Amino acid sequence: MNVIWGNLPVILGGLALTIQYAVVAIILMVVIGLIAALMRLSKLAPMRWIASAYVEIFRSTPLLVQLFFIVLGLPAILPVNQWFGQLMYPILSAALTLSLNEGAYVTEIIRAGILGVDRGQKEAALSIGMTDFQTMRYVVLPQAFKRMIPPLVNQAAQTVKDTSLLAPVGVAELVYKGEIVIAATFASFTIWSLVAALYFVIIFSVSKCSAYLERRLQVDKR
Amino acid sequence: MISVKNLRKSFGHHEILKGINNHVEEREVVVVIGPSGSGKSTFLRCLNGLEVVTSGEIEIVGMKLTDPTTDIHKLRQHVGMVFQQFNLFKHLTILENITLGPRKVKKQAVAEANEIARELLAKVGLPGKEQRYPDELSGGQQQRVAIARALAMKPDVMLFDEPTSALDPEMVGEVLQVMKNLASEGMTMVVVTHEMGFAREVGHRVLFMDEGYIVEEGKPSDLFTNPQMERTKSFLAKVL
Ligand SMILES: Nc1ncnc2c1ncn2[C@@H]1O[C@H](COP(=O)(O)OP(=O)(O)O)[C@@H](O)[C@H]1O
Ligand SMILES: [Mg+2]
Repeated sequence: MNVIWGNLPVILGGLALTIQYAVVAIILMVVIGLIAALMRLSKLAPMRWIASAYVEIFRSTPLLVQLFFIVLGLPAILPVNQWFGQLMYPILSAALTLSLNEGAYVTEIIRAGILGVDRGQKEAALSIGMTDFQTMRYVVLPQAFKRMIPPLVNQAAQTVKDTSLLAPVGVAELVYKGEIVIAATFASFTIWSLVAALYFVIIFSVSKCSAYLERRLQVDKR
Repeated sequence: MISVKNLRKSFGHHEILKGINNHVEEREVVVVIGPSGSGKSTFLRCLNGLEVVTSGEIEIVGMKLTDPTTDIHKLRQHVGMVFQQFNLFKHLTILENITLGPRKVKKQAVAEANEIARELLAKVGLPGKEQRYPDELSGGQQQRVAIARALAMKPDVMLFDEPTSALDPEMVGEVLQVMKNLASEGMTMVVVTHEMGFAREVGHRVLFMDEGYIVEEGKPSDLFTNPQMERTKSFLAKVL
């Protein structure tokens, strides 16, 4: 117990960083996923190609490798540290890489959601003179969004788990801090138990959001 | 009001419309009948550009639909459409369903759009349903809302694609009544339907379509009692 109390500030510092990265990545993954999904459904072939290439590349390589490549690999051939700053580049690139990786999965979630909306809805919107954009914005996306909530919440939970892969590229999040404390105290079992418990609390809460959000939307909007 | 010249439409190698010619006058009610799969829906959907025509010319509400420089969204504001499956926006209330077009497309003020929507709901016999959602209404009620939604754009022409085919029999009458009223107000209408009673009573002209052609057309009184073509005769023998 003393091991826990004594090192709690350090561990909680890591937890704060984990949460910050997760929140940023969850917001960005939805923005990126929405843009890429709309590109994948675009009438313009080059748009579709770019978006497909993005999705396939990020889904077909491991996140850890993507992180090594972008956070540690790119500075070896590009002066990114000069552009963004020695301290900022690892932070920005780690957050962005995580967001791009999760965004690739979100792209497919949003695309499936859009395609799942009955064609008749789109045709009705077009028939009253709405543009493609208005049809998407006011008719298709709001309906698609409702059915996208469970898989999106699931992806958000996955994102929290995936932040643990930021430790190897030097982000001092929960796992990283856990390793530091263990190196100093050798309390491997205790600290990993604590780390696991903290992840569980966050991820379990995120998962429970799904039921809550679905219920809310059921009541307000059919 | 509508002029169609040598309209052809193919899906892949399959030609569905094989040269349609017709002319619809202002205030005219044209009823389109014919067997399933004859191209009636495709014809109607070409008239507001939901299907892109393969060749031929369509002029409607004074705009040339087949001219690539025509603003199709502008054109559709003047051409109302009612679908077999109603297609009300499921996530919006009845009031929002009716006002979405006027507000977003015509940039009408909310108060004005709501006012017009309430009048239209009264007109189709559904006062007080403003805050309901589509799935809380019966099929007949939903279809009447769909008509109100189309009318809210103040169209010059209304296209109906089998508006009563998805309804339970006891709800057909209420929808046909709304359409009759609309016709008597002088709305130009093209109606695909299997309701021969409606065609006789309200239609000024009937088109019989089969296999991508308009096989025969005429006044309901003539076409129903004295059809000229064999195919028309055998179709009418089955449905009358
Ligand atoms: N989007 C489409 N793609 C391919 N074939 C289609 C499409 N829409 C309609 N068809 C075909 O065109 C033919 C005519 O259909 P339709 O116009 O719906 O006939 P109707 O309304 O008279 O029953 C049918 O054989 C149908 O399968
Ligand atoms: Mg049809």
